[in-house]
Amino acid sequence: MIATDPMHQFKIEKLLDLKIGGLDLSFTNSAFWMVVGILVLILFLAAATSKMKTVPTRVQSLAEIWYQFIAGIVKDVNHAPGKPFIPLVFTLFSFIFVANIVGMMPYWFTTTSHIAVTGFMAIFTIGLVVLVGIIKKGFGFLKIFVPSGVPLVLLLIVTPIEIISFLSRPISLGMRLFANMLGGHVALKVFAGFIPSLAVALGGVGMLMGGLLVMPLIVGVTALEFLVAFLQAYVFAMLTCVYLNDALGEAH
Amino acid sequence: MEHQAAEAGHAAGSGFPPFDQIGDFGISQIFWLVLTFGVLYFAVATVFLPRIKQAVEDRDGAIKADVAKAAALSSAADASVKQFEAQIAEARARARDTAAKAKAEADARTAAESAKAEAALNARLATAESRIAENRAKAMTSVSAVAEDAAAAIAERLTGAKPAPAAVKSAVAGALRG
Repeated sequence: MIATDPMHQFKIEKLLDLKIGGLDLSFTNSAFWMVVGILVLILFLAAATSKMKTVPTRVQSLAEIWYQFIAGIVKDVNHAPGKPFIPLVFTLFSFIFVANIVGMMPYWFTTTSHIAVTGFMAIFTIGLVVLVGIIKKGFGFLKIFVPSGVPLVLLLIVTPIEIISFLSRPISLGMRLFANMLGGHVALKVFAGFIPSLAVALGGVGMLMGGLLVMPLIVGVTALEFLVAFLQAYVFAMLTCVYLNDALGEAH
Repeated sequence: MEHQAAEAGHAAGSGFPPFDQIGDFGISQIFWLVLTFGVLYFAVATVFLPRIKQAVEDRDGAIKADVAKAAALSSAADASVKQFEAQIAEARARARDTAAKAKAEADARTAAESAKAEAALNARLATAESRIAENRAKAMTSVSAVAEDAAAAIAERLTGAKPAPAAVKSAVAGALRG
């Protein structure tokens, strides 16, 4: 039976009960698709890097382009001090990208469409920025809230704004990814739902209209969603680098 | 995570799983996220990225080494071309020298030989000339003798008297000279 409720696809279902210390850590469909995602990644990377050659094979070349893409972002944004964070940004990008792409498959769960997941990633990222900033600069890290060269009167206004903007970062970072994935999938489902609705309402004519008018729209939106799947992973990785720069770079 | 809880409260009961289920499965989602992300991070950071980085660096190194080797080989080739050219120039100079020397030698030898031959010819010429002069002188003396005889005979026939030989001789000599 095809579920026509556009929200049904985001429903988490328990697959295996697991309770540790009073916490419900059950293995759900969300957990299952996370495991699938990292297995896909690990298997791909293992295949790509098992026999590294000077003249790369196609998969090796793909893995190298992937690595150089991420390393390029980190180098452009964070320069030399960003080097230790390349694996983290690589993992963040890859995890989100694969989760998004896995979610594009019909009936496969999109783990990044839940705010608990994206929100935690965002909080983790900002938490890391704060931690690295305090380790590297101590109290000097707080200078990011006090822009240099601004008159004292303006600082009274600017500093609270800077603090609010800093605090809103994890919300915007987590919300952006979550909302994009959720919205895209809802849109796809709603458009797809037009076809059976039209068919029920108008019979054969409705089916024809659905096929001729709605189906190309769905194809287009699906293509767009694949772009969004990449773009959101890229944006998350990019913003992680930009935020890390507050902790690593010179005071601005 | 406060804001998540607040959002969950907002959307309660609207059939919106990302917010509705955060209470039931939020912790589970975060737990599995941390677990899977951690495993992936570990694998990426300790195994895959070092491998990829190594391969990229190896390639860069290999390219650099090859380029350096090519440059060294090309400069070696240039050097040997220069050496070759120098050798050719030297050989050419030597050949020119040899040719000039040979020519000079040959010229000298030719000159010597022609001088020798000329000398020999001159000697022969001289002897021949002296012989000719001798013969001529001899012939001249015989001519004067014949002329004296003839003159004496002619004078005797004309005058009937035999002229004095000394007078005949001086007359003939005067006629021959004149």
